[in-house]
Amino acid sequence: MLVAFALNASPAMALSLNPDAGSPGIEDANTLHWILFILLVVAIVVVNLAILRAVRPRTRAVTPKKGRRISQTKLVAGLGVFAIALFIVSTVFSDKSREIPVSTETVAGQTEGQPLVIKASGQQWLWRFNYPNHAFSYRRLIVPAGVTVRLDLTSTDVVHGWNVPELTGQVQAIPGRTTPVYFRADEPAVYHSHSSVLSGQGYDTMEIEVEVVEPSEYESRIEELRAQIQEAQDKVEAEFQASREKSDEAKKQYEKTKNQINQDDIESAESE
Amino acid sequence: MSRTTSYPQTMPPTRPEVASEGPKQSNARWIELSTSADHKDIGRILMVSAFGALFLAALELLLVRVQLAVPSNVFLEGVTFDRLLSVYGTTGIFLVALPLLIGLLYYVVPLQIGSRTTALPRIGQIGLWLFLLGGVVLYGSFLFTPPEAGINPLPPFSDSTFNPNNGVDVWITSTGMVVLGLLFITIDLLATLHNLRAPGMAWRRAPLFTWAGAIVGWLFTVIAPIFLAAITMLMLDRIYGGAFFAGDDGGSPILWQHFSYIFFTGVYMAIAVGFLAAIGEIVQTFTGRLLPRHAFIWSLVAIAVIGTLAWTQNMLTVPLDSGWKYFAMLMSYALIVPFGVIFYNLISTVSASDFNMTAPLRYAMGALSLASIGLAAEVAQSTIAVATRLNHTYDAWAATHFALIGFVVFGGFAAVSYWYPKITGVSINEDRARKSFGLMFVGTLIAILPLFAAGVEGQVTDSYRYFSGEGFDTWNLIASIGTLILFVGVVLSIGNFLMSRSEEPKATPDPYRADSLEWLALSPPPPHNFDVLPDVRSARPMRDIREAVTRRDEENAEAEGAAQPVA
Repeated sequence: MLVAFALNASPAMALSLNPDAGSPGIEDANTLHWILFILLVVAIVVVNLAILRAVRPRTRAVTPKKGRRISQTKLVAGLGVFAIALFIVSTVFSDKSREIPVSTETVAGQTEGQPLVIKASGQQWLWRFNYPNHAFSYRRLIVPAGVTVRLDLTSTDVVHGWNVPELTGQVQAIPGRTTPVYFRADEPAVYHSHSSVLSGQGYDTMEIEVEVVEPSEYESRIEELRAQIQEAQDKVEAEFQASREKSDEAKKQYEKTKNQINQDDIESAESE
Repeated sequence: MSRTTSYPQTMPPTRPEVASEGPKQSNARWIELSTSADHKDIGRILMVSAFGALFLAALELLLVRVQLAVPSNVFLEGVTFDRLLSVYGTTGIFLVALPLLIGLLYYVVPLQIGSRTTALPRIGQIGLWLFLLGGVVLYGSFLFTPPEAGINPLPPFSDSTFNPNNGVDVWITSTGMVVLGLLFITIDLLATLHNLRAPGMAWRRAPLFTWAGAIVGWLFTVIAPIFLAAITMLMLDRIYGGAFFAGDDGGSPILWQHFSYIFFTGVYMAIAVGFLAAIGEIVQTFTGRLLPRHAFIWSLVAIAVIGTLAWTQNMLTVPLDSGWKYFAMLMSYALIVPFGVIFYNLISTVSASDFNMTAPLRYAMGALSLASIGLAAEVAQSTIAVATRLNHTYDAWAATHFALIGFVVFGGFAAVSYWYPKITGVSINEDRARKSFGLMFVGTLIAILPLFAAGVEGQVTDSYRYFSGEGFDTWNLIASIGTLILFVGVVLSIGNFLMSRSEEPKATPDPYRADSLEWLALSPPPPHNFDVLPDVRSARPMRDIREAVTRRDEENAEAEGAAQPVA
């Protein structure tokens, strides 16, 4: 057991105890996790060493010293003080980790002094992101670096788990309810993660990718996205128009043939 | 039955050796057993079923871990994996943990309080049959559609729109019958506890495990109806087009999470309370020292109440008002106090005593060791900023499994091997118990410790495969090998219970010289438990009886000696 703990504490493992901080607040959560990790590992090691000592083979008679057991009141008080101190530390860091400063930069589609609003909607088994300029993307979210983003989480079918440890942590997307999630990506990067609530047969492939790019690139990217969507829409529109025209023509041809046949029938009837 | 008999203060009426065997059985053994309303028969069937289900759960976990041993494995299909995982979790809680705990309490507690029967035996009997039927429904569903929406099927995923096959209906039916059945048994247990205690058995003299019976009983009576109401609503939603949990129809999917987590958190705490109390009895018996009674019992009460109030600890990633999240964090941290008090007292008592290491104490100390890892890791799971990254990952899975395997499997083996001579009338094989304990303990560590690492790397639970290159591979392979060792250990430990019955020598009624009254009865106890009800004068009635018997023998010897003429 101790070997396993030693492994846990070795530098190779320590590097991955926490995700890289990609947004303000994550650093505080990382610090808190470190504090807890050290405290808890110490607690586990102490308790298990005590258990090992308690079950040591008895080679000679144990003569307990009188009054060695500490009083229960002191024990409760000590543990209580420890729990309260831990609660205060955790509250401070948890509060700090939720503070996301408002960005100074502004990108297209963002109101001055307000965060950039992107709508994220989970569905079996994809995430869809709607940008302010009516562009949308699936699976991959594009956000500008240095700009505070408000992600409006919702779901169209079942509960999905939004999960990007480097930026936001986990938040559940509940159908019929919109949950704002705030973050501000520090610098360009690509974060890869996985949805975290079982949602059915395609759950294993329900991945999330967040691509953080420079604000100017963000604008051009979503503009390009919009243009592509527009292009695809135009293409569909054109095809639809063409097929309708085609069917109009066919209809005319049909009417014409039908009339012709009727005419022929009448004529043949008359001739008889 | 007579409860008014009063005996001279120090003189117990009789020794158990002269107790009768009870009325002769007229029917075949299995007919007697299946129509019995005796708490001992019912408790034993519950425990045997729990160990059978433990074998199945271990097998299912092994299959699940084989699938997860290597990335992109094709050993199981996605849907088969989901079904195995759902049935594994449901078995673990509903068919192993709860029946083992309640079966033990139902067997032992009436004996401990010196009662000849339970107060509502037929209620206990219908409870047993509901429970068995629930188990049969869950495993019978392998013939058609087993549940596949997880151990806690969250609506709307578990609604008929997204899970149209009857897997979730099977889950509702079987867990419903199991919980209702165990609730009946619990009600019988509570009625017995409050009405049928032996003369002089005041609450201040009741043994720790009896107190655990009262705490677990009342806790289960509070949480079980909440669960039954929730699954009824889910059934209405599924079959009759209800909208309790429908997000877009005025209902709320979050409501289900509250209901189900109140229940699951309560069950977690009931398990902790019950098995910690059993470990307390074991420690007291084998060390011959008393634990500080008030501190221990009040800690058990605190675990039950505070722990269950912390149910939103499971919902830190759900959009709730943050006040509820801080409340959950406060309650979870508050649990450090009662758990700390209990662990300190148990370990320090063992540490300062002389004893021969035997199977029950060995399993008990293993339980404390594993549970300490799980409970400490739960602290991180309860911390808001950290839980949002660790929830639903293998870190959470590992924390819960350490605590539950510690309490249920190791605590369960500890408690059952402690009362094994009483239940079966034979002693347990120490050598096999030591070896299988070693395998199980090492197996658990290898099977679960690496998953903490996979969890902080970000591997999410419930997914039937993962892909290489994300840092999960090594940890999962180690965990799968450990699960194989754990499986072998569990099979050998169960096998030891079966084999000891035919091989080991008969046990005396009081093999450990313990303090509580169940050791006054024969091993195994006759249907009416006690020929004569003892008169309880202290919290250690069996010690009083032994002392009185010694004194009586001395007096008799003296009297005889006086009567002899000096030659």
